[in-house]
Amino acid sequence: MTYIKPKFAHPRLPENKLGYTRKEYEGSLSTLCAGCGHDSISAAIVDACFELNIEPHRVAKMSGIGCSSKTPAYFLSNSHGFNSVHGRMPSVTTGANLANRSMIYLGVSGDGDTASIGMGQFTHVIRRNVNMTYIVMNNGCYGLTKGQDSATADYGSISKSGHVNSFEGIDLCGMAIELGATFVAQSFSGDKAQLIPLIKAALSHSGFSLINVVSPCVTFNNNQGSTKSYDYVREHNEALSSIDFVPVREEILTEYDHTKLKVVEMHDGSLIKLNKLSPEWDPQDKLSIMTALHKSHERHEILTGLLYIDSESVELNELINTTNVPLNTLTEKELCPGSEILEQICSDLR
Amino acid sequence: MSRVNDFVVRFANVNGTGSASANYLFAKSVFRMGVPVSAKNIFPSNIQGLPTWYEVRVSEKGYLGRKEGIDLMISVNPQSFKKDIASVRSGGYFLYDSTKPLHNEFLREDIHFIGVPLMEICNREFTDPRQKQLFKNIVYVGAVARLLNIDTNIIEGLFAEQFQGKEKLIAPNVKALHLGSDFIKENFSFPLDFYVEARDLVGDSIMIDGNSAAGLGAIYAGATVVSWYPITPSTSLVSSFESYAKKLRKDPLTGKNNFSIVQAEDELAAIGMAIGANWNGARSFTATSGPGLSLMSEFLGLAYYSELPVVLVDVQRSGPSTGMPTRTQQSDFISAAYASHGDTKHVLLIPSTPTECFDMMADAFDYAEKLQTPVIVMSDLDLGMNDHMTPAFKWDDSRKYQRGKVLTAEQLDALPQWGRYRDVDGDGIPYRTLPGTHPTKGSYFTRGSSHDENAAYSEDSPTYVRIMDRLLKKLETAKKMIPAPEVHLGEKKSDVAMLYFGTSMHAAEEALDILKNDGASMDAIRIKSFPFCNEVKEFIENYDRVFVVEQNRDAQMRSLLINELEIDPKKLIKVLNYDGTPITADFILKNVHQHLFQSIN
Amino acid sequence: MYFEKVKAEYVDGKRKLIPTGEPDVFYPADDVIIAIGQENRFEWIERDLGIEFDKWDMPVVSPETFASTAPKVFFGGDAALGPKNVITAVAQGHQAAISIDLYCNGLDISDRPAPDTKLFSTKMGIHEWAYDNDVTTDNRFIVPQADKKETLSNRLKEVELGFDLATAFKEAQRCLNCDVQTVFDEYKCIECDACMDICPTNCITFTTNEDDENSLRMKLLVPAINQEQELLVSDTLKTGKVMVKDEDVCLHCGLCAERCPTAAWDMKQFNYNTAKAGHLCYA
Repeated sequence: MTYIKPKFAHPRLPENKLGYTRKEYEGSLSTLCAGCGHDSISAAIVDACFELNIEPHRVAKMSGIGCSSKTPAYFLSNSHGFNSVHGRMPSVTTGANLANRSMIYLGVSGDGDTASIGMGQFTHVIRRNVNMTYIVMNNGCYGLTKGQDSATADYGSISKSGHVNSFEGIDLCGMAIELGATFVAQSFSGDKAQLIPLIKAALSHSGFSLINVVSPCVTFNNNQGSTKSYDYVREHNEALSSIDFVPVREEILTEYDHTKLKVVEMHDGSLIKLNKLSPEWDPQDKLSIMTALHKSHERHEILTGLLYIDSESVELNELINTTNVPLNTLTEKELCPGSEILEQICSDLR
Repeated sequence: MSRVNDFVVRFANVNGTGSASANYLFAKSVFRMGVPVSAKNIFPSNIQGLPTWYEVRVSEKGYLGRKEGIDLMISVNPQSFKKDIASVRSGGYFLYDSTKPLHNEFLREDIHFIGVPLMEICNREFTDPRQKQLFKNIVYVGAVARLLNIDTNIIEGLFAEQFQGKEKLIAPNVKALHLGSDFIKENFSFPLDFYVEARDLVGDSIMIDGNSAAGLGAIYAGATVVSWYPITPSTSLVSSFESYAKKLRKDPLTGKNNFSIVQAEDELAAIGMAIGANWNGARSFTATSGPGLSLMSEFLGLAYYSELPVVLVDVQRSGPSTGMPTRTQQSDFISAAYASHGDTKHVLLIPSTPTECFDMMADAFDYAEKLQTPVIVMSDLDLGMNDHMTPAFKWDDSRKYQRGKVLTAEQLDALPQWGRYRDVDGDGIPYRTLPGTHPTKGSYFTRGSSHDENAAYSEDSPTYVRIMDRLLKKLETAKKMIPAPEVHLGEKKSDVAMLYFGTSMHAAEEALDILKNDGASMDAIRIKSFPFCNEVKEFIENYDRVFVVEQNRDAQMRSLLINELEIDPKKLIKVLNYDGTPITADFILKNVHQHLFQSIN
Repeated sequence: MYFEKVKAEYVDGKRKLIPTGEPDVFYPADDVIIAIGQENRFEWIERDLGIEFDKWDMPVVSPETFASTAPKVFFGGDAALGPKNVITAVAQGHQAAISIDLYCNGLDISDRPAPDTKLFSTKMGIHEWAYDNDVTTDNRFIVPQADKKETLSNRLKEVELGFDLATAFKEAQRCLNCDVQTVFDEYKCIECDACMDICPTNCITFTTNEDDENSLRMKLLVPAINQEQELLVSDTLKTGKVMVKDEDVCLHCGLCAERCPTAAWDMKQFNYNTAKAGHLCYA
């Protein structure tokens, strides 16, 4: 019966401020391959939402098609989910966000869903700064169709069948920064200590936030020669900083060393504390991170952590001056101009 | 022989010279004189430089369809001189810019030439080059007004309305108008043997294009989220929504928008956003044309299968592929009715007039939300982009938006159990929930993969079949909800009948009138929606033969009738106009007569 | 029936019943049932047989071999080490039998055969296990009883009716599978966290080790506060972390092993066959 999750829970499970335990944030049992990195990311999402005291039903889970896009079934079962069509999650999320700006939009996508079929929508959702968290579960291959190279597979990476990739991989983070993304992070599914605070910060960011998570495909891309395997990523993971997310002014910071500790204040007053490991890099300086990304690429390293943040970000609804009230709550009263105005319009047309 | 209020005027211009608004002045002035008028803009897929025509039919009898045979041609485009001269009916008139002499090769013995030195007048009276170009148009409007006995005061009144806030433009326009008018007065005998005489035949009608009407309908229907991708001929629909929204949808306290419009990166994103917004409980629509419909197919399938409302307006143009982007057709019916792979079927609404564009647009949101499925409004270029005389719009202030079966938190608490795709009421329509409604109840996973009544993934064959069959049942419910056809029965039942829809209406009604006058009265039916209501089958069954009038090559509506209603194909006679111009009564009559003649022999 | 009146007196801590000298008491009765006392008394064993008795007047018996101090005499059951349950008695019988067998074969009775134990994997394939690992949330089923009116009026009527077949199966399904153990092989672990993420009771944690056990206990996803239950702590893994498992809340559901891509976790069943005389256990 290992296809059903027992209802038992630990009797002393900690509760958050809403009185919920982690159980209230879980979903149904994953049907992905055992050991899939995506499941770790799902677990990190559960932890992040639990720790942020988010009411699960205030979250909308959005996805496209592929292994990654199945995962919304495996977390936050009290949230509405929308498994749309391949590569089109950004547009569906944009529409949903316009309809109700008060909810939290969590989009989950994969490297095929984002970097190939969905590249167009991915770039435009960034351009519009839709207030959402966009997590790419990036395993460099098409797991659901048996492991073909994806557009993020690195040049020279060897697939399980021995095929050597002859094309350069797309760097989603670098591209997102170039396109004007206001929150860009990179992480590894096997590093929850880094991933959870990143997700928390992303969910708290007002505007588009991207987390590109390298997530090994245990079945098709965890072999020798792969650059997305557990071993390779662990060996080549270069963290820019250790990250700590401090929800809305929980802690007053006293003096700190600015060269080592970077504190970014978020839109809602919460703080991101970054213990910088590299003195040259500043998460609010685009140029420094672009340089760092290029250098890490030359060194075959995977740069992880919060790469770039624009804490002054203005999200879509603000940009187009939409009312603060969710549009889906407006009624005839606000929306219908009525017969008198219609008569006036008609008389102008005579 | 003089013909009062029954003639066709055609203007031949160069695209991008501001002629359209001048020509509209002419049409509007006829309308203001209380005479029914219809205007067709025949324009190229181009911004500047190619030939464009504006055709105005003046009809005392109220026939608003296009008519072949031009009585008066105003040609200010040397590029199309030859063609324009050839298109004038024998005995008709050709007004041209006589600044330069007309080449002999263009001359025709059987028509009258009226030379007005437009360039000369403009060069003399105006200095700014752009003004010269624009006022040339007004000068010929003045000339035509004088030729056709149109009251220039009416046109001056139109200037006053047009240039509200820019009053200093009124005087030069009036001047140009009189320059043209006076030139005719001094040099020609007028009016012509056909002219306009004031009447009181337009009632409370208005003049508006279908796209503007549909945009306004969406405002009244409470649409809040609009996503779109520019494509001729649907673009002006969203522009109309936007301009009305900016006037009518500002929050009075904050000045912020009670709407949002996003120009998407492509049609896929446009429909994706509309579906996302509807999923989240906002009324949302998008508008497109044929190529966009093709791109939206996948998403339409998703909305159909996951049972989400969405409203789409297809302003049809000539296909296939890019086709003739600025010419009209009714050629998206099969692809719209069955858009997307797998077994799908969509609700279509077919307006014939701007008034119906307004009404059907407002109703489309009710249908979509009540049925939880896409509703496609099948307009076309002729309807969408041309100004039509149409009955004034009406709105009942007691009307409530019908949001369909959407459960509230209280209802969820009161329910012992709920399944997103469970048919509780037997009408094939399940109950849905919106995200964020209830902390622990009502959440579900919307998906395009096969699912059971509880929205859980399922590849169980009986479950799949059950859901697919219920979707059919839902369409049966739809048939009772959507607009029934309009049936026209003569005093005596005829053996043959005519079936038409959309913008073929005016031409068909004119043809039917002529047949009636000829003693060959024919019963008729106008289809207003798909899937076909039962009345359609009942009607067709009553006749030996039915002429199916359409504006496409492949008789798409006829195919749908055969496919959906199992009608004997022999019974349905094709009348197909697909040259990109709006169908005419003459065309229909010619086809009807030909068929009847052939079958007699 | 007549009863002699006695009183309890303790001599050297041993309880003795001394007649009070009062007249016997008569109780009228319809039936008299004579019951045998549940007490070891060995007055009938001659004290010169070579069997040593202790201060409680009980034979001195080896708890391993169940031999008395007389080489040919063995004890088992309540007679050996005092009253225990029947299962213990059977086990002692087995041990005594082994001793007798060894003795008769002229072998050293202290050189005893070991029981047969086996630990074997129960994983058969995806979702397929050799043990029944459904974790049921059923409460204990109540054994149905006959109507009290009947059982009180008829002492021959059996009170507990037992389960019907269906309930009996269900009750058997409530098995805690305590014979099935999670076995962790750190050399196979790739630290994908799948087991930690899936465990329904959050009993697995990957974390850095601590010198002090209590600190480690507090670091777990849910602190392990039951000090009586030892933690399972792995060797240091590649990333420098250790796997710590709080056995206290493990359901033996097997999900950790199901979701483990490298079989670093396995559900292994522990099989124990008690040693038997004449090496029957090796058969």
